Order: sequence, then structure tokens, then C-alpha cells
Amino acid sequence: MESLSEQPWDVIVAGTGLIQSLLALALSRSGKKVLHLDQNSHYGGSEAAFSLDEAAEWVQQINQHPSRTPFEDATIQVLRPDSDNQAKLAASRAYTLSLSPYFLYTRSELISVLISSKVYRQLEFMAVGSWWVCSSKEPDNQGHDGEAKQLFHRVPGNREDIFSDGQISMKAKRTLMRFLRHISTNGDDEEQNELTDDNMSEPFTNYLSTKFGVPAELHRPLLSLSLSQLNEQQTSASFAVARVKRHLASIGALGPGFGAVVSKYGAGSEILQVACRASAVGGAVYALDTAIESLADDVGDEVTSDSKYPVKVRLSNGETVSSGLVFGSAWDVPSEEQPNCTKVARSITIASSSFASLFPVTVEGAPVPASVVLMFPGDTLDSPSSPPVYLQVHSSDTGDCPRQQSVIYGSISIAGSEGQALLERAVDRLLQAEGPEASALWSLRYTQLGRLANGGPACSLHSHSSHVFSFPPPSLDLAFEDQTVDLVKEAWVHVVGSSVPHDEFMIFEDREGTSDE
Amino acid sequence: MSDTAGGNAPKPSSSVKLVLLGEAAVGKSSLVLRFVNNDFQENKEPTIGAAFLTQKCTLPTRTIKFEIWDTAGQERFASLAPMYYRNAQAALVVYDVTKPSSLTKAKHWVAELQRQASPGIVIALVGNKLDLTNDGGESAGGSRSPPLEHGSGEDEDGEEEEANDVGGGELPDSGDARKVSTREASSYAEEEGLLFFETSAKLGTNVVDVFTAIANAIPESSLKTGRGTAGAGQTSLGNRSAEDARVNLGERNAATAKEGCAC
Repeated sequence: MESLSEQPWDVIVAGTGLIQSLLALALSRSGKKVLHLDQNSHYGGSEAAFSLDEAAEWVQQINQHPSRTPFEDATIQVLRPDSDNQAKLAASRAYTLSLSPYFLYTRSELISVLISSKVYRQLEFMAVGSWWVCSSKEPDNQGHDGEAKQLFHRVPGNREDIFSDGQISMKAKRTLMRFLRHISTNGDDEEQNELTDDNMSEPFTNYLSTKFGVPAELHRPLLSLSLSQLNEQQTSASFAVARVKRHLASIGALGPGFGAVVSKYGAGSEILQVACRASAVGGAVYALDTAIESLADDVGDEVTSDSKYPVKVRLSNGETVSSGLVFGSAWDVPSEEQPNCTKVARSITIASSSFASLFPVTVEGAPVPASVVLMFPGDTLDSPSSPPVYLQVHSSDTGDCPRQQSVIYGSISIAGSEGQALLERAVDRLLQAEGPEASALWSLRYTQLGRLANGGPACSLHSHSSHVFSFPPPSLDLAFEDQTVDLVKEAWVHVVGSSVPHDEFMIFEDREGTSDE
Repeated sequence: MSDTAGGNAPKPSSSVKLVLLGEAAVGKSSLVLRFVNNDFQENKEPTIGAAFLTQKCTLPTRTIKFEIWDTAGQERFASLAPMYYRNAQAALVVYDVTKPSSLTKAKHWVAELQRQASPGIVIALVGNKLDLTNDGGESAGGSRSPPLEHGSGEDEDGEEEEANDVGGGELPDSGDARKVSTREASSYAEEEGLLFFETSAKLGTNVVDVFTAIANAIPESSLKTGRGTAGAGQTSLGNRSAEDARVNLGERNAATAKEGCAC
């Protein structure tokens, strides 16, 4: 093929985020002619992963072209270690810094799709280990050969954990068990039950105290399992209960001792690239550095038009191509309307420490975790009313950084300098607790636009015309949002119609010559 | 089911991601077809869509499973390669010994790999279509052993590879179709630290040798970590290596199929 306009396309997919990449894969394997574009010269869109040099280029792009992508105000800081014997930054390509460090709960729809499509064979997953909550008290022996875990309380991950936890009183343990039993036995008729019995719109913390007598000391550990991005008062019981439930139900599904996994080499970025590769093998054609400049849909004549390819798409390379349908993110499909977004502050910090004490193997036979989740409630950062800061620490086992270093992915649902200041405070507390050897070597700070996990507008396909659709803004959740898969399926059904049975979505056989057997 | 368990083979088995690069029509897909299926198609149509194939290669101490990514047919848009060589441990950069411009293109790919790919990537420069030259069938000593069989059952006697006949500099230019001398390409390969072979996908000359040499050149450390990052010793996360810590999604396949939770 010499040019993209040589033939008409069944579908043009714009942007190479995970949602688009899964769609391109599903369509290419359903026999559709797919042209998959990205305006950037790299894969992944808002979920890309970068080396240090690529990150620097990305920062320039973001600041030069605001509103072309869901990012703003990006800056990089390279920090010099105090002394020569301290660890130094390795070569640029030794790092894979991800804009999508999300993890997948083990029962996630996405894992089902990765398995049924056989795409998982190209991926490596590592376990996400413990959840830790920063305590409001200063550690007793500060300055002593520090270990970060003194600053935190590890959230018990199972019954044995709860019983062996020395910091929780017997009485509190009983209330906790009652709550956990309630949410785990509360099966399919849960919604009716909860709607009638409980006031699920009240704050989660009130619900815990009034209904189960769970003491305040245990509210935060439970909140951390919900990954709520709002403060305690704003986090409703209905939101948190469902998510704590998901957390607990996920533990053990893929092996003992963990409930979530993270993909090596850039988390979400690696998954979407593997999907794109599989999609290319399925016949999709890829063109980077190619944006949709404008498009025209002959909607006027829709009733009379019998063209299979009604959308004329003008590309940034000067070509005009025809397509049956167009799907993309709101930043890839030209439109007058701006999507409704929340802004959060995020940061990526390379640290000269492995924070080994935060990565214990807590259950016999469990894999060594490669990632942990740290929650800093507002008051531990001297900002009691603010939402929590979450830090996801990736060890070098994730392939994101060299040995003896870690990558700390931070987020808080306050944008701008206020949010960045809290992120920085959280990272500093972690580094100080670990001891003088631990320092930040490099950091990237940015504002991201998207949707919070808590509430917000409905997550659905937006139609610009009868042939042009955009996906909702990216999820800002720490865990992969399962609705993404539903959206991919909705778009796929839209294209394939009744030509393919819908229960065959993303179910592919191994290609000839590629199976393991 | 697992990538790394290696079936019944007693030897340690590792997967190696290999990307195939080079100008259109130099015979990339044919090389892989010869390696994987011991087959050759005259006048093969250009590959449409990309391709992905796997083949095992047994060394005395371990088994390497090549995962071969072919950008076939999409070179014009130069958009697949960056994704293909990301985290690749090996690259096969192919040119056509009868077409000098294809060596120039190959040099561009080598430069791009050196700039963008994993630091430890093993690159092999391969001049294909040796059968169109006068020294066609001879350089590898006539008959080649067929490629290794599929599956792991044959591993015991799969050690015939010697990889000792790397194309030397002794082949003279003559009146045949050759337009790129062995010396020119091999000295370039030496300067850049590349493995170098001349092959004929049509006759099978040197094809298995290329892959065996690549398998031998992949550093142990890169097999463990999955890519060529320099390791500064053991992590303090306990004695277990990252290899042990991998989660096998296939486990859930079995576990959840019963529950019927897949949509």
C-alpha cells in the first residue's frame, strides 16, 4: 500500500489510547478494514509511557499546544544528589514512565478480554502488594536507620492479617469482621437491601460508625481500599462499599496474597501497545503523526445516500480518506464541544531507593509484589479538609526503572500548585521516612483532565453525527475502570451490527504458528 | 500454557522478542517462513498486515522461544516499527545483496535502533538473496540442517547448531547479480557491533544460523529481566527473582471459566 487514501476504510480509529487500541483490535479481527491514527509520534495518547528524553519532549509539546491533549502545566525537575556516592539517574532509556500507571483488579473485565483475545501472551503482569495509610503521628525513632514503613500502617488484606495486626484492638477487630461479613454475604440482592436498609448516600465513615460501630481508627484503612479521590465527608457509602467489596473479592483470584496486577514496562501503555500489535497482525493499518484535521459526514442526504463510506476525513498529511465510521477521543475528533472534565494534579518521581520495607510478602507462596499503594489523608499533609494523596510506588521489577530505584506515581484531585504542593509533601515524607539515602532524582509534574471515579457524568459514547463518535474523557481512577471494556464493546457492536454474534466479542483463536503448544 | 514454564523441556526456556526490519521486498517474511516452517514461496505476494510468529531454538543450556514481529507491508507509514522494537531483545535488519539502496535503508534502521530501542538489544545485519549471486549455495557448506521442529519434544537432539560459519570477507564481486560486497557490509557490521550473515531464504542457506547466533548473543541478564537494563545486583526484595514474581493470567483462565464471568 502506497497511500492511505488508496482504499476506503470501514472504520477510522483516532488516537491510540487503550480504549481505541482495544476497539481497533476487536474490529480488525472481525474482518473490518481499520485505519488507526495518532496525532502524536508515539503510541498511547493520554496513556503513553516515556523514557526520560521522551518525557522532556512531551512536556514541550504539552506546553506549546495546550488543549490538544488532556494535559496542562507539565514541568520536569532534575534533582542533583547531595554527594557523589549517592545513586544517580541512569540513562534515559532505562526508564519507562507511565501516564497510565493503573493496576487491574484480578477479576477485571479487561483481564477476561486479554485472555480470550490471547493478547495476554505478550504481557507480563506483576502483583500489586500492600495498601498503606500514612499515620498522623510522627514515627517514634526518626533519624534512626529509617525504614519507610514506620510512617505507615499496613492495611490488613485478609482475616489472618486482621487477627495478627497488633495495632487494632480486639473490639475493633470484631466490628471490622462484622462489616466485612456483611458486605461479602450481601450478594445479588444487595442493591435492594442497601437501598431499603441503609442510607447509602451518607458518608462512608458515618455508615461504618452508625451501622457497624467500626471505630474511627479503621475508617482510613477501609477508605484507602475504596481508592476514593474525594475527602472523607464526600465519599459516599454506596461508592466505597462497592469498591471495598471489589477489592476483597479480587484477592486470591490469580494466586495467593494479592488482588491486583500491574503490567510490566509502563502499565496501561504496554497493554495498549500489545493490543495495537495484535490489531496490526489482524490487518489494521497504523499511521502515527497523523491527525484528523477536519471531517464531513453527508448527514444531509442520509436517507437517500447509499454510500458505505459517507465520512470524508481530511488528515494532517494532506490526504483525504473515506470511512464508514469514525471513533476517537474528544481530543482526536474535531468538534465544537469541549468535554466536561475534572482536573487533577499528578506527578512522577524517580527515587534512589527500593523502599524494600513496603514490599513484604505477606502470605506464604505469594509472589513478591512490584507495586504498592500509599494513601496520605489530608491531615497527614497539614491540609485536613483536602482529599487524600495517593502514591503508587513501582519497584524495578515493573521494568519502569533500574534496580535500587523506584518510580513514585502520585495523584490528588486538586489541580494546580495547591495539588502539586501536597503531592510534593507526600513524596518528601516518604523519602524522609526511608532515610538519608533516599532522595528524589527526577520528577515530572502535570495536570490531567478526565473523569474521577467518584460519581461524575455517565460514561458513554458521544455521537457527533450518525457516523462519528467520541469516547468519554479518560478515567482518573488508580485502578483500571471496567466500564472501558463495555464502551469498546458498545462501539464494536455499533460497527459489526448483527454480522457477528455479540458473545464473540474479543474471543480469538491463536493464529497459525503462534501457539505455545 | 505459561510462556516460561517450557512444557516438558528440562532446560530453562525464555522468550525473546525479535523485530524484523528492512526495506520492502528484501525477503524478511521469507526468512522467517524458512526459519519457522522450513518453507519458501517463489514470487511471494507482499505481506498484508503485520505478522507474528513464534519458533523455538534449542541451545546446549537453554531453549529460546523467538516471538517474531514482522512489520510487513506497512513500512511506508513507518508507524509500526517503534512499537515493535520497544522492549525487543533482538532485531533482524535485512537488506538485499543485489540492491545497494536496501543496505542504506538497513543502516537507517540500525541507527534508529541504536537511538531508540532497549540499550542491550542484539542486532543482526542480514544480506538476503545470496542465491542470486555466484557464491549462492556454497558459503554455508551446501546443505543446511532443517530448522528445528515445532514443539518441545525434540529438544534432546536439537543441539546441532554450531554457528561457526559467519559469512567472512572472502567473497569477491563478480559478474553476478550481487551489488553489495560482503566486505562492505561486514566491515560496517563490525564497526557497529552487529552480528552479520548472508543468507538465502530460498535455499535455506545460513537461515537457522542467524537465529542461533542471536539466541547465543542475548545476555543472560536480559533474559531474566526481559530486557537489557543494566542490573546492579540483586534487589533487596528477598531472594526470589522477578521471574518468580510474574503472575500467570492463564491461571485465572482455568479458575474463572467455571464461574462464567467472561462476557
